[in-house]
Amino acid sequence: MREYETVIGLEVHAELNTNSKIYCSCRNAFGLEVNTQVCPVCMGFPGTLPTLNKEVVKKAILMGKATNCKINSLCRQDRKNYFYPDLPKAYQISQADIPLCEHGYLEFMVDDKIKKVRILRIHIEEDAGKLLHGESFSGSLVDLNRCGVPLIEIVSEPDLRSSQEAKMYLETIKSILQYINVSDCKMQEGSIRCDVNVSVMPKGSDKFGTRCEMKNVNSFSAAVRGIEYERKRQIEILENGGEVLQETRRWDDIKGVSVLMRSKEDAEDYRYFPEPDLKNIYVDEKEIEALASTIPELPNKKIIRYTNDYNLSLVEATLIADSKEKSDFFEKAVALNKCKPRSISNWILADISKYLNENKCEINETKLTPEVLVKLIKLVDDSKISSTAAKSLLPDVMADGKDVDTMIKERNLLQNSNEDEIKALAQKVINENEKSVTDYKNGKTNAIGYLVGQCMKASKGKANPALAKKYILELIK
Amino acid sequence: MNIDIKHISKLSRLEIEEDKIEKFSNDMQEIVKMVENLPEFDSVEEVLDKNYTMKLREDVAVTDKFKREELLANAPFVESGCIVVPKTVE
Amino acid sequence: MRISDKTASELSKMLRNKECSSVEICQDVFDKISENEDDIKAYVTLNKENAFETAKKADEGFGNGEDMPVLAGIPMSVKDNISTKGLRTTCSSKMLENYVPPFDATVVKNIEKNIVPVIGKTNMDEFAMGSSTETSYFQITKNPRNTECVPGGSSGGAAASVASKEAIVAIGSDTGGSIRQPAAFCGVVGLKPTYGSVSRYGLVAFASSLDQIGPIARSVEDTAILQDVISSYDTMDATSCDMPYGNLYRNLSENIKGLKIGIPSEYFGEGIDDEIKTNVMNTIKILEKNGAEIVDISLPSTKYAINTYYILASAEASSNLSRFDGVRYGFRAPEYKDLNDMYVKTRSQGFGDEVKRRIMLGTFVLSSGFYDAYYKKAKKTQQLIISEFNDAFKKCDIIATPTTPTTAFKIGANINDPIKMYYNDVCTVPVNIAGLPAVSMPCAYSSDKLPISIQFIGKHFDEQTILNAAYSLEKIIGNLC
Repeated sequence: MREYETVIGLEVHAELNTNSKIYCSCRNAFGLEVNTQVCPVCMGFPGTLPTLNKEVVKKAILMGKATNCKINSLCRQDRKNYFYPDLPKAYQISQADIPLCEHGYLEFMVDDKIKKVRILRIHIEEDAGKLLHGESFSGSLVDLNRCGVPLIEIVSEPDLRSSQEAKMYLETIKSILQYINVSDCKMQEGSIRCDVNVSVMPKGSDKFGTRCEMKNVNSFSAAVRGIEYERKRQIEILENGGEVLQETRRWDDIKGVSVLMRSKEDAEDYRYFPEPDLKNIYVDEKEIEALASTIPELPNKKIIRYTNDYNLSLVEATLIADSKEKSDFFEKAVALNKCKPRSISNWILADISKYLNENKCEINETKLTPEVLVKLIKLVDDSKISSTAAKSLLPDVMADGKDVDTMIKERNLLQNSNEDEIKALAQKVINENEKSVTDYKNGKTNAIGYLVGQCMKASKGKANPALAKKYILELIK
Repeated sequence: MNIDIKHISKLSRLEIEEDKIEKFSNDMQEIVKMVENLPEFDSVEEVLDKNYTMKLREDVAVTDKFKREELLANAPFVESGCIVVPKTVE
Repeated sequence: MRISDKTASELSKMLRNKECSSVEICQDVFDKISENEDDIKAYVTLNKENAFETAKKADEGFGNGEDMPVLAGIPMSVKDNISTKGLRTTCSSKMLENYVPPFDATVVKNIEKNIVPVIGKTNMDEFAMGSSTETSYFQITKNPRNTECVPGGSSGGAAASVASKEAIVAIGSDTGGSIRQPAAFCGVVGLKPTYGSVSRYGLVAFASSLDQIGPIARSVEDTAILQDVISSYDTMDATSCDMPYGNLYRNLSENIKGLKIGIPSEYFGEGIDDEIKTNVMNTIKILEKNGAEIVDISLPSTKYAINTYYILASAEASSNLSRFDGVRYGFRAPEYKDLNDMYVKTRSQGFGDEVKRRIMLGTFVLSSGFYDAYYKKAKKTQQLIISEFNDAFKKCDIIATPTTPTTAFKIGANINDPIKMYYNDVCTVPVNIAGLPAVSMPCAYSSDKLPISIQFIGKHFDEQTILNAAYSLEKIIGNLC
């Protein structure tokens, strides 16, 4: 079998977290009683007209800027015409040839390498309602609460080459949307969904294969499964001498298969044309720049920096970067330049995160400061206190901001570094653990660890472990 | 120009009664023949007018302006607060 | 002279002088309706109870010596494509036969604020598609000047209600001539305002970029009064323009000294009845004699206007009328197999032939493979027409043309020939394409005693100048309404 490369492009639809809908003042809210968040406008009553929500334009521009897009300061909206009961006007107001944002790119880490994916366009549009199905209903029931919820559609170029890359791309989009407060990205509420375009080509080829569009992909893991399935399906066709047909397929995540929705011949003719009920959108350059200046360094950029400059693993970098509070704290601590960044991230991701989870708070809501954390790490690095001792102080620092030095004194935590005492202690432990000494001499080097542990135990944790190890090795010889 | 009445009626969700279809088709052909007489242009691409722009609405949600019963009063079939349509099979 | 024969400006004075009450005016109008409506059939739905309620409210205001709006207490009719809360709004279609809007159009709110009694909803061509009011699902409205003739359309019921004194004033809508042409046929005054000056919120859309609500009345003064009431900036309509409105009536002037009137030869050529050409030219000469200056202008792309209009209007209509699908409101076919069948049966049974023709034309010009050659080209032609008007207005203040190529035709004369019907709008359509204001008023009567009307076209938002010209003409030749 030949080797194949998968070519993937993604269309991500994200619901924006505005107060009101895109074209009317109804509440943009999820999970409320059916047909209660509606008005004549979003129900498409005759004679009603759309009025565009300013915040939708702002949020779309923010996302455009966050993904390095060119912003079309002058653009318009268009109608996409099709009949379906969840679409009251029988057209969706969207954007066709002139989107609000276009030609951007996104960089993120995949397997220790920076991956760059070009963004073709980001446009604004309205969401449709929902159809409810049930055995007992006399038909399908239409709930229009979601009609007119603002969406942005983020369309990538076909730059992704594996389901893993696609997943990382989706995770990155999601973290940015949340970071700049454009979308809540609640998967279970369907507030972020995607269509996946997949094709395969022989490895080394520069000619893309025929692509299939897969709809109804409702989670990132479904995207991975769908891509893998589609890749196999298409390769199988090609290996059997067949031809992949351009078609729209629907992903059935429960059955784990994609099924044909319509072929190219049956492609919908949406008859796009400029929305005559709305004038052009114009946002002046100054306003665009002012919006752009509010965007902080984004998680994907931070991850790249943390892995390259601070030697964090991808997982560690991601966990820190995805939380604005943690990454702010981390960077302040690193800036003090007194200990290894990786020690700081270890503390944040282990004991500090444990405390935060247990107490359901953010790091900036505790009494812990970057200075105190660095001080603790330094005390351990300098063998003044053991790391166990240091960790035991953390809850009191975080909760009440108790002074570290005072606590060390009160709790008598300073490590014992008196050479004579430690030497005596080592001798005592050697005498009491003859078997381990024999093991060590027979080549079981890890027996040293046990002996050091016994020193710690005998000294109630206060013996300097480095010194203890030194004397044990000396005395055994 | 021979227009595909069948395709167009499918897109429009309309059907023309058998006895009317011939006159209807002829009328449509005549109308299309009439309207296609337009001047020639080098390019039909449109340039957006910077002076034709709109004020945008502030993002303020207004609730309880209409009662559900009021908005569903015109619907032919209603069940459990929803409009009923023939079953859609996905 | 009956009370209902009077104009709004006369009645407004009488109400202030306590010479009559709003209830009396309403009563006389409803008497007229009982006498004439069987013949004329101007109304689809009457609103008697509410009208009298508003009339009483107006009378109370006058009785208490309150500062009342000019139009307060003066009964009007509303075209049946303008949404009225709690009062059915049918667009003269089977599709909306029983549709009752849960909200008021912005113009209706404006009317209510001015305490104007609404007599009822007037008949029209189905969804405003037509020039004779013969495509109404309910009835054929007759021309009060000659009941064998059509009243014009699509606001035929509105014009007929005013001409037959079944309303003092009326509001209609004009997408390609639907106010001016029936006003001309019925011998009354009709104004198509500048696009964006009257809110379209609540007007059931035919062609969103061309539709505009406007007044129909029996004098230029009344037209100005009503336009002042309905024009407003509306945040519910993104195409509404934020401008100062409401001073047309106050600023009416009959001084036309030095007014430059452009005469485009294209509007006096082939296809226009000789009798109309002669009478409109004579009228222009009268204006010249009274101080206006006549300028020859040219609008060469006028010959493409009808084609451009039918492409753009039908394209928008095909999309605007897609919402009539039997789901949320309106007619739903009684029998169907499945969802798609419900759509097809509902729309095929709910729409009349002319509406179907326009939807199909619009669908065609937007469809894949034809969009550039039809829709985009028409958009380009629209720009051409606009720029020719702009050039013309460098040479003149207003443009004068006939309103219609013929006088009112006989009922049934054009109904089977769509193209012939479409050419009724040849003089009015360019104005909508360019978004300009234009007023039509009767200036003569033909040998068979049908009104002949002149159209004054103005610059954007310059309703004042065309109304002044019309006001002046009305003073010179007398009110022919």
